Amino acid sequence: MLNGKKTSRRTVLKATLGGAALAAAPGLIKYANAASDFKIGLFIPLSGPAALFGPSAKNCGELAIDEVNKSGGVLGRQAKLYIADAGVPPAEAAKSAVRLMLRDKVDLIVGNHDSAVRQAIVGAVKGKIPYVYSPVYEGGECSPNVFMLGETPQQQLMPAIDHFAKTKGVKSYYLIGNDYVWPRVTNKLAKKYIAAAGGNVVGEEYIPFGPANKFESAVTRIKSAKPDLVVITLVGGDNVNFNRTFAEFGLDKNISRVASLLEENTLMGVGAESSGNLYSSMAYFANIESAENKAFVSSYKAKFGAKAPVLNTLAESNYAGIIFGAALTNKTGSTNAAKLAATAEGLTVSTPTGAVTMRNRHTDKNMYLAKCNGTQFKIAKVFNKVPSGQTCT
Amino acid sequence: MDPIAVTIALNIIYEITTLFVIVLGLAIVFGLLKVMNLAHGEFIMVGAYAAYFCQDQGWPYIMAIPFALFIAAILGYLIEFTLIRHLYRRPFDTLLVTWGLSFLLREVIELVYGKGFQSLSNPIPGSIDVLGEPYPSYRALVMVIAILSVLVLWVWYRRSLTGARVKAMVENPELARAVGIRVDNLARHTFVVGTCFGALAGVMLAPLTRVEPFMGLDYILTSFFVLVVGGVGTILGLSSGAGVIGGVQSVVSNLFGETSGYFGVLLIAILFLWLKPNGLISRS
Repeated sequence: MLNGKKTSRRTVLKATLGGAALAAAPGLIKYANAASDFKIGLFIPLSGPAALFGPSAKNCGELAIDEVNKSGGVLGRQAKLYIADAGVPPAEAAKSAVRLMLRDKVDLIVGNHDSAVRQAIVGAVKGKIPYVYSPVYEGGECSPNVFMLGETPQQQLMPAIDHFAKTKGVKSYYLIGNDYVWPRVTNKLAKKYIAAAGGNVVGEEYIPFGPANKFESAVTRIKSAKPDLVVITLVGGDNVNFNRTFAEFGLDKNISRVASLLEENTLMGVGAESSGNLYSSMAYFANIESAENKAFVSSYKAKFGAKAPVLNTLAESNYAGIIFGAALTNKTGSTNAAKLAATAEGLTVSTPTGAVTMRNRHTDKNMYLAKCNGTQFKIAKVFNKVPSGQTCT
Repeated sequence: MDPIAVTIALNIIYEITTLFVIVLGLAIVFGLLKVMNLAHGEFIMVGAYAAYFCQDQGWPYIMAIPFALFIAAILGYLIEFTLIRHLYRRPFDTLLVTWGLSFLLREVIELVYGKGFQSLSNPIPGSIDVLGEPYPSYRALVMVIAILSVLVLWVWYRRSLTGARVKAMVENPELARAVGIRVDNLARHTFVVGTCFGALAGVMLAPLTRVEPFMGLDYILTSFFVLVVGGVGTILGLSSGAGVIGGVQSVVSNLFGETSGYFGVLLIAILFLWLKPNGLISRS
């Protein structure tokens, strides 16, 4: 403690008793209505580098709970949200998962976070309760009782690369990403799709994840490699800095860029001047012109106001995750793992992205290739019902 | 000349000169007052947000300079008066206080502007020809301003009366007070000048980078590396520190990729802390 010499036994006692009372209070309230609620643990980033998405993700979680309860709840019970921070080290997230299961006795976990945290939660939950993992990810998760809603590299890049090759005559590609599992697996697959489309990779590089990166040298390398298309798997601030530097050196005029995690907030940081010939390939944009999305956006605005945190793919995935988890449990009639797995195969649920169908515990879904127009996305091409390419049994 | 080589050479100069501008405020406060200002990155952030505010109001970009200086000066005086002046000659305590301060400044900005990214438009878009190779104009301007500011500051510190008073204060505060130098005021002004240089760096860099409440953290670590390598208290030390850190980062990144560049900087910083803890040029 920093003020060690001033701490007397009395203050320690007071603090401990106070803390115990505080810790017990929610427990007492909880037991009053424990039996009636269907409890959903929601992992969202409230701290750390992805904390930017925390407020919108929390809103989407609450909105989903409202809608589930409006249509009768889950298994005849009212759904209730238990939020946990996913922006912590994996070991901490595992502890939160255990706490949610043992203390709060949640019936279902929905999570939006990176793969390291997912693996920790999977390890802690051990398939005892269903776990819906909702954001875009690299694929490959097949643990029992885990259901993946997010798009895989196959969904993001196979149709998009084919589209660029056919309509824009793209032949040479440059791959740049942050140095962790998602960009590396995505690019490994991207190289297959590029080869299949008759293109070649003229450069590939990975930027450390965490330190203050600068992109002058990467942009200079791209300038000398002269690719037709840059495939970007940078995230957050690095994605902003890279794209700004890229455009500042004037490369945006002749070289197109397609990013795998470029959502509304990141595009705002990239800015209108730097978003020329920049595309994003994802399953959700806030301005998709579908009936499902229009209803979703209008109820989000009705509940949280016009100045609410901007909608984005990660927050939407929380909404979709809860809607999907509730639909799966209701259709199964229980949370029995074997029965859930049987019901899940072929289950179609309507989400803001459009209807998604679960196959091999991943979803076939519509994919959108959007072109940046200033700081807005404009859908350039819709690929309907793209399969995930995953083979979980 | 090979066009790519020209671009790489300019990138290296850019890296070194911007690093100098980023560290300058910290070097003044740390080198002269021995205050380890961990909130230095947040003053850069405040400068960037001041520039964003000006742009949002539709003012020309040049207005951001006086506005950011105004904000940073008020903040600097307030912070010096309430916190820092009680802690001169207690470097470790200043470290803790300014660390807490950095949280406060981030939270305040977050309260006003939210966690999201803001983007500033480039005040001088387009590029100029350098040896037949196009280079972004605004970057070129930033480089020129940075180099000019080194020269002006160097001459001023060596020649001016205030420079001499500051030197007297740093060497021996009691004696300085005895000959009629108002040391308290001088220290306060020195601190404010440091925060103002931080905010100016923010104004200069804001159009080139991401602007969000946590952006200051990007700068603070490298800034201390520069001081470790260069040594504190002299402009020559600061320049050589920026040269070594910026140069290593930029050269190694260009040759072997970004990860190696980062590794190179860490290695250099560790070697200096171990073998030459006073840096290349130390005042004593």
